[in-house]
Amino acid sequence: MGLQFFINAILLGGLYALMGLGFSLQWGISGIINLSYGAMVVLGSYLSLVLFNTLGLDPFISLIFSGFILFFLGALVYRFSLQPLLKGGIVFTLIITFAIRLVIENIILLIWSADYRTIRVSYAGSSLQLFNTFIPLTKFLTFIIAGILVYFTYLFMMNTKIGKGIQAVALDKEGALAVGVDDQKMYMINFAVGTALAGITGSLWANIYSFSPHIIGVIVGKVFIIAILGGLGNIWGAAAGGILLGFAETSGATFIGSQWQEAIGLVIMVAVLLFRPHGLIGKKFFG
Amino acid sequence: MVCLMDKKIILDIQSISKHFGALKAVDQVSFQAEKGEIVGLIGPNGAGKTTLTNIVTGDLKKTGGKVFFKGIDISNLLPFQVARLGLTRTYQIVKPLEGMTVEENVLVGSLYGRANRKNNLYQGRKKAREIMKLVGLDKKRDSLVSDITLPDLKRIEFARVLAMEPEVVFLDEVMAGLNPSEVEEASELIKKIRKEKNLTIIYIEHIMKAVMGISDRIIVLHHGKKICEGSPKEVCENPAVIEAYLGKRFAKEVINNQ
Amino acid sequence: MTNIEKKSKFSKNIILVIVFIILFILLPRFISGYYTRILTAIFMYAAIAQGFNLMSGYMGYLPFGNIMFFGIGAYVTAIFMGRGFPFITAVFLAALAAVITSIILGFPVLRLRGHYFAIATIGMNGAIMSVVQNTTEITGGAMGTTLPIIPQAPEIVYNYFYLAMFALMVLTTLVIYLVINSKFGYAIRSIKANEDAANSMGINTTYTKIITWAISAFFTSLAGALYGYWMSFIAPEEVFDVMISVNTIVMMLIGGAGTILGPIVGAFILEIVSEFAWSGFMEYHLAVLGIATIIIVFFVPQGVLGTLGNMIKNRKSTFKKKVGMSNG
Repeated sequence: MGLQFFINAILLGGLYALMGLGFSLQWGISGIINLSYGAMVVLGSYLSLVLFNTLGLDPFISLIFSGFILFFLGALVYRFSLQPLLKGGIVFTLIITFAIRLVIENIILLIWSADYRTIRVSYAGSSLQLFNTFIPLTKFLTFIIAGILVYFTYLFMMNTKIGKGIQAVALDKEGALAVGVDDQKMYMINFAVGTALAGITGSLWANIYSFSPHIIGVIVGKVFIIAILGGLGNIWGAAAGGILLGFAETSGATFIGSQWQEAIGLVIMVAVLLFRPHGLIGKKFFG
Repeated sequence: MVCLMDKKIILDIQSISKHFGALKAVDQVSFQAEKGEIVGLIGPNGAGKTTLTNIVTGDLKKTGGKVFFKGIDISNLLPFQVARLGLTRTYQIVKPLEGMTVEENVLVGSLYGRANRKNNLYQGRKKAREIMKLVGLDKKRDSLVSDITLPDLKRIEFARVLAMEPEVVFLDEVMAGLNPSEVEEASELIKKIRKEKNLTIIYIEHIMKAVMGISDRIIVLHHGKKICEGSPKEVCENPAVIEAYLGKRFAKEVINNQ
Repeated sequence: MTNIEKKSKFSKNIILVIVFIILFILLPRFISGYYTRILTAIFMYAAIAQGFNLMSGYMGYLPFGNIMFFGIGAYVTAIFMGRGFPFITAVFLAALAAVITSIILGFPVLRLRGHYFAIATIGMNGAIMSVVQNTTEITGGAMGTTLPIIPQAPEIVYNYFYLAMFALMVLTTLVIYLVINSKFGYAIRSIKANEDAANSMGINTTYTKIITWAISAFFTSLAGALYGYWMSFIAPEEVFDVMISVNTIVMMLIGGAGTILGPIVGAFILEIVSEFAWSGFMEYHLAVLGIATIIIVFFVPQGVLGTLGNMIKNRKSTFKKKVGMSNG
């Protein structure tokens, strides 16, 4: 155990925090369980791959493009396929988002095949050394960027007009409607912010891990756990949930065996659902 | 001319409390109801009437106190257990069974209510039709509840409750949204049914006028506390009630006029 | 409609159903093995979709991870047949295992509503799959396991499974039909309509939900048991695949959730579309399936049978208005 274990866990958890945040916002505020979230993350990875191979762009820079493109994709998906079916309830949103996942997955397969890909930036091998522990530079930067983005999301929700509108519809829909907030527009922007975070996560992921359409399902599993651990729509909750999952997986891999890694996360999730359905943090929305 | 032998206490509420954090929604309320009695439970909005109902029927967990029904402690029972013993309620905001017809709504009551747990579908349907006739729903029995007007939805709530053959019923603002002639009609119906079935009714209302003509006894709640109990006349003349309740009304009117 | 009319319509329907059953029993004699296999798969999906229909279409609880019972059915059958038990005994034990699992999990999980319930069942499915993957000595682990092969000509064996799956579909549909039209069925439908009201009307909702899930688990596990024996090889990622859940939920939606024949109609439509996608658009089949799903959900949100039912109802009521009848 020791320091190296702690550092590994927290570095992994930082990426998970950002990854889970978008999903948690979409579910908690727009009310949509986005089963295409994993496909959107991986799409971000492939966008960075293309920009790296053609323009030599570092994923830490191309994440801006992933974010933008997926923001607009998310807005379109919400406006034209989810919003018209909201009345149908949970069954419809689940099925539609799953169908979107199939379409994205198929497009990725057609263009890039099912092979695992990696992006190796020039400094991929270098690492920081601290008290006998190694901190890979890419993972360290990923952690920092993820932290900054979580904080930016928080600032966006708390300080901008749109963010306040989103908060208003999340907390008191009738009240928000009464003061003239366009609820569907807020849900759409919130959903698009969520997919943008998915795309950015994908770019970050591509810089440190390999990726292929096979990891789509695994990512969906993880974001479920993070969102439920933290409480739906709760920004700091998602961050805490991500870190917690990072610790759970790292300790699972260290002490029990890495094959049980996924089961541990799922068992924790079900336990939280049963005993603390509002998440470990407890308060709903924005913490 | 009160015959003591007839006085049978069926519902005994003993210092029930419900706190939501610092807010005392219901604060040590006690009262009793006799077999066949109509007890009016009144008070301004937010006085704790519905919260009290929810506690008695098991929909809400209490903070303190006890409820006895026919001598049985029902304080910790679940709603369906309370219902099967013979204590039921209507909801202030109607809760029809969506996607079902009027008859099916009443049928569920007659299949699963108190005396009816052994009813099969045939007996249940027969019972449901009797009740629908009694409350005047027989012509609409095959309509879906989504196609029904508010007064009829309230009728369904009432019919459903009757189909369960209860001994005590909490009627939670069944008159809200009805026009004066409908209120008159409903009051007659309630009186008729009370007489026929020797039913005990806890009648919740915040319009004083509607309660006066129908109740044998009235209990006034204010800020979760019982401030007065007595005959309709006594309650009307009670200074505490005038100050807390009737007075507030005037204050409200002043605000509205501004 | 008078009672006599109702009765004559009812007996007409029964005759129609019997004709269809005989037709499907005889069908394999006239079609190739390829189509027999497709039909077998359709029957299997229809049976699974009925399990979803009972839970979701009638009771309003979407057990997204219901496929765990399919996996349990397949694996328990494989484990016991691997130890020399006959198929019938193994199937019985498999169904028992599924029912017991559903009851044990049901007590805590069925307290959750809506999204939370759906997600908790996905989590449980994943956890059970993990256990199967990692208890290699018993289950054969992540690489999968085999079941005995019936020592007869393939056409005959396929015909067995065709008939068995068909029987399962008919049995599942019949039982769910009877349950829904019984007194217990009113308790199930009340929970979908308004769970709080159902509870206050004397319905023990916890008990109702658990029994209903157990029925759903029972039939889903039978489908899994038959599937394992049919394929004679199963792997955890295949029989616990959430994709099967999604597919069968889509089938239920296409046919019409909360209608008794909806899941069967939906299974036929989606399986044919997806066969078409496979054979016609090999590389694009996922996208074709996804887009087809979106289109179907958009244009027939109440399912084929629900939409047809509404059309018939509307025509009847306009007819009545024209003729001037007021009493239904």
